[in-house]
Amino acid sequence: MQSHGVLLPLRGPSSSLTLSRHLRRQLPPTSFHSSKTPTRPRSLLLPVASAAFTVSDGELETRGFRVRRSTDGLDVAALNDVFTRVGFPRRDPDRLRRALDHGGGGAVVWVEEAKRGGRPGKPVAFARATGDGVFNAVVWDVVVEPSLQGMGLGRAVMERIVAELRRKGVSNIALYAEPRVVGFYRPLGFATDPDGIRGMVYSRRNQKKR
Amino acid sequence: MPFGASIPSPPPTYLVHHHACWFQVSNKCWIHNGLSGFVPAKRRAMVLPLRASFWDSIKSGFLKNNNSTQVVEPPSTFMEEEDPFPQDIVLLEKTQPDGTFEQIIFSSAGDVDVYDVQALCDKVGWPRRPLTKIAASLKNSYLVATLHLICRSPGTEGIDQKQLIGMARATSDHAFNATIWDVLVDPSYQGQGLGKALVEQLIRVLLQRDIGNITLFADNKVMDFYKNLGFEADPEGIKGMFWYPRY
Repeated sequence: MQSHGVLLPLRGPSSSLTLSRHLRRQLPPTSFHSSKTPTRPRSLLLPVASAAFTVSDGELETRGFRVRRSTDGLDVAALNDVFTRVGFPRRDPDRLRRALDHGGGGAVVWVEEAKRGGRPGKPVAFARATGDGVFNAVVWDVVVEPSLQGMGLGRAVMERIVAELRRKGVSNIALYAEPRVVGFYRPLGFATDPDGIRGMVYSRRNQKKR
Repeated sequence: MPFGASIPSPPPTYLVHHHACWFQVSNKCWIHNGLSGFVPAKRRAMVLPLRASFWDSIKSGFLKNNNSTQVVEPPSTFMEEEDPFPQDIVLLEKTQPDGTFEQIIFSSAGDVDVYDVQALCDKVGWPRRPLTKIAASLKNSYLVATLHLICRSPGTEGIDQKQLIGMARATSDHAFNATIWDVLVDPSYQGQGLGKALVEQLIRVLLQRDIGNITLFADNKVMDFYKNLGFEADPEGIKGMFWYPRY
């Protein structure tokens, strides 16, 4: 249900990555009816994507991690293993494959543990987003292999998936965060309940009887 | 090309007492009028014709009392001879004092014209968005649900008027999660429970398609509306978050 699994808050040097005001794009204020996009003006210039990353793709490569931006070569079974190790219930692999195949309108970013000889490596960090490709996106399944947490890989995938979505023109990027990881998303630029807008989830047992 | 999801409809779990068959006659789209055959559709809209037997039942049964509004509840049993993929559901039927026959129809087919969508957004007071983006957002949505008002005036030889009066859409990964966006009802038709019906039917279709996690984002003004439909805010303390929502 949540957009991520059990994820330890990232430690390490605090990053100076916050998009400064003059780099954010200005849009006219919008007000939408139910299922909301928050009212938000932005400044005129978009940040250059690569300049905005705390750790560049190249730096990750030198540490043995390769950034991937499509599901090509993604070992679904290995990803499912990471999900279970972070505490998700085990997913049906076919459904997981279906979810990964239907990323149109969204994005996917994962970090591959590079292997010698260019052989495909296992996913060690992952994030995916669903969306309509123009207005809205929701980020799901943000995970980092537990033994590799605390090194900035979660931040790396989040920065890049946001950049991917922004590059496609999507400005409303949302997610659902467990209380203990709200602090992980805040320095990445996410805010809870802006304008009083809250995330809601449907539950059959909540349904009022007619 | 119709907007909305390109996935095939799954078999329904219940029957509606009438159903709609998709078809297209040559490259043009025709609206089937139960009384006098086919008339050309104004725009390129794939409207579902309703079977002749339905019109018979309407004439003989439902219009016994003129000027009555019928709320059409779908029966819970599935009759095998009916079309297995009803996408359209009649929510309300009414005959006006002047004899005009009206229906409000829910559809999960996503057959909607971007101009109509833009007009509806104008009516609810949303700022204008580029038509190409509206079109793309519909095309990339997993499910686009609509409410249309169908009017048939007496003596016009059955030319139907069809007006978009409500819409909602959902994005999804086609497997686990869906998020509902842009729930709209024409202000002239608000206050009648149509928004509730729209969202209820949308949920029904999502659940039929086995999408288990249905989510949305709601402001204070509509929180109770969604609570009454079965949504819970911040379940288990899980918070909705947005990227740089405020300047």
